[in-house]
Amino acid sequence: MRLAFILSEIGSGIRRNLSMVTSVILVTFISLTFVGAAGLFQLQINQMKGYWYDRVQVTLYLCVDNSSETSCAAGPVTDEQREAIQAKLESEQFAPYVDTVTYESQEEALGHFRDQFANSPIVDSVTADQLPESYRVSLVDAEKYEVIDEAFSSEPGVDAVSDQRDFLEAIFRYMNWASVVALVIAGIMTFCAILLIATTIRLSAFSRRRETGIMRLVGASKAVIQLPFILEGVIAAVLGAVLASATLWAASKFVIDGWLVDTFPQTAFISSQQVLLLVPALILLGAVLAGLSSLLTLRRYVKV
Amino acid sequence: MIRFDNVTKNYDSKSQPALDAVSLDVDRGEFVFLVGASGSGKSTFIRLVLKEDRASRGAVYVAGQNVANIPSWRVPRLRRGIGVVFQDFRLLPNKTVFANVAFAMQVIGRSRAVIRETVPDVLATVGLEGKNNRMPHELSGGEQQRVAIARAIVNRPGILLADEPTGNLDPTTSMGIMKVLDRINQNGTTVVMATHDDDIVNTMRKRVVELRNGSVVRDDAQGIYVGETGVLTG
Ligand SMILES: Nc1ncnc2c1ncn2[C@@H]1O[C@H](COP(=O)(O)OP(=O)(O)OP(=O)(O)O)[C@@H](O)[C@H]1O
Ligand SMILES: [Mg+2]
Repeated sequence: MRLAFILSEIGSGIRRNLSMVTSVILVTFISLTFVGAAGLFQLQINQMKGYWYDRVQVTLYLCVDNSSETSCAAGPVTDEQREAIQAKLESEQFAPYVDTVTYESQEEALGHFRDQFANSPIVDSVTADQLPESYRVSLVDAEKYEVIDEAFSSEPGVDAVSDQRDFLEAIFRYMNWASVVALVIAGIMTFCAILLIATTIRLSAFSRRRETGIMRLVGASKAVIQLPFILEGVIAAVLGAVLASATLWAASKFVIDGWLVDTFPQTAFISSQQVLLLVPALILLGAVLAGLSSLLTLRRYVKV
Repeated sequence: MIRFDNVTKNYDSKSQPALDAVSLDVDRGEFVFLVGASGSGKSTFIRLVLKEDRASRGAVYVAGQNVANIPSWRVPRLRRGIGVVFQDFRLLPNKTVFANVAFAMQVIGRSRAVIRETVPDVLATVGLEGKNNRMPHELSGGEQQRVAIARAIVNRPGILLADEPTGNLDPTTSMGIMKVLDRINQNGTTVVMATHDDDIVNTMRKRVVELRNGSVVRDDAQGIYVGETGVLTG
């Protein structure tokens, strides 16, 4: 009976306050969409880190004709130097760090280059002797890149030691920024949502002050008096969270599954399944936000 | 049933107290008029019984319990034992007569079956048979006050507090309301009614407690009241 009563109170409260309830739904919808987007960026960063750090290779570029490094002062790499480098890479000393070593000749480098820039006119002007030979070294632990760098960068015949991580980390930095921006927007929107929920509850409490006054006098408990208001806010916020979840899921479905995966096949993207993991978190967050802000408002505006 | 022990109520420290060292005993089943000019402290007395406000000094006992010692989560239970009626009726305008009375039972969790059984009985007690489905604006003032009384007693409180229940009603209608209150009192409910209507007080011949500037200046069994005009009419 009391439950039915509380439910009917919520219904009448929402009907009376429809425009405010709608704006609470929309504001929580938008703020939680940004919260979720920030979460998705972080998930994507972790995914890519895991994927790429396993595959990161250190590349030792060997000297060519026009290298400017001091280790290349003697001109292009010689056969002895090349053998010395390979021997050092495969020595006992580096065995704990080095997983595999592959050699790429100038011809192979040109092949890769042509694949990569197939549609570009520069392909025709590049010849094999302009591209460096290289050793591709995959590491046991990608974090131990410095060891190889220190040992080989001044080795005669080695032009440069390069690590794709620099490049990847730049990407991760941008993605981190994007997620920070999303979080800041989310924070501002969440603040708006809290204020709006508080205002809505206040108006609702004001428009129902007659009822609550009578409830108090006839001895209704605090829960019966306050629950309809709290639930009104919570229901609106949860609806907003559901909309946000649906939007994020649809966006990931169309943008990631529908476009990014085809366009960048070699990159690991989060799946729309993983987006579903965010849904309970968003709903919980919405409910807690609304619950807290209405509790605080009620303490001031609805006497019990 | 209600005991005031040297109760003082200061709303603010500058002005003089709304109640000043009031000591008063109301027994179970009594009917008491609380009379006095505007501002003499009648409504304050009622608010203190309901624990809507706290006494600044002294103690208020309701049914033997010092209300100051009732924790806030237990206050609803205190109020379930007390019915209240006001001058302005305080009905819910968008609910029928039946729904207005049923509301008081719904919010304390009474079952639908019990409500369906009890409400018509109570409406009959206050003389509103057949008006279950009227809206408040379709009723006269006296009828609206009867609905408010029905709502106040539907949960069978031991005490009924009435703060100028006839203040908005003409003398004939007022007498009808008084009959209803008297009947409720005959059924064993303690009634405390604040008023400054001397006609009513003098007709009813009940106990009269007169307040002036927050102090009890008179407490007569079967008393009379000389209103603000100073002319004895009873
Ligand atoms: N909430 C309040 N805050 C401050 N002062 C108050 C408050 N309520 C009442 N008072 C003061 O307390 C005194 C007693 O007021 P109370 O309402 O008890 O009088 P009353 O006898 O009910 O008067 P009336 O017949 O006009 O209803 C008055 O001087 C009033 O101004
Ligand atoms: Mg008053």
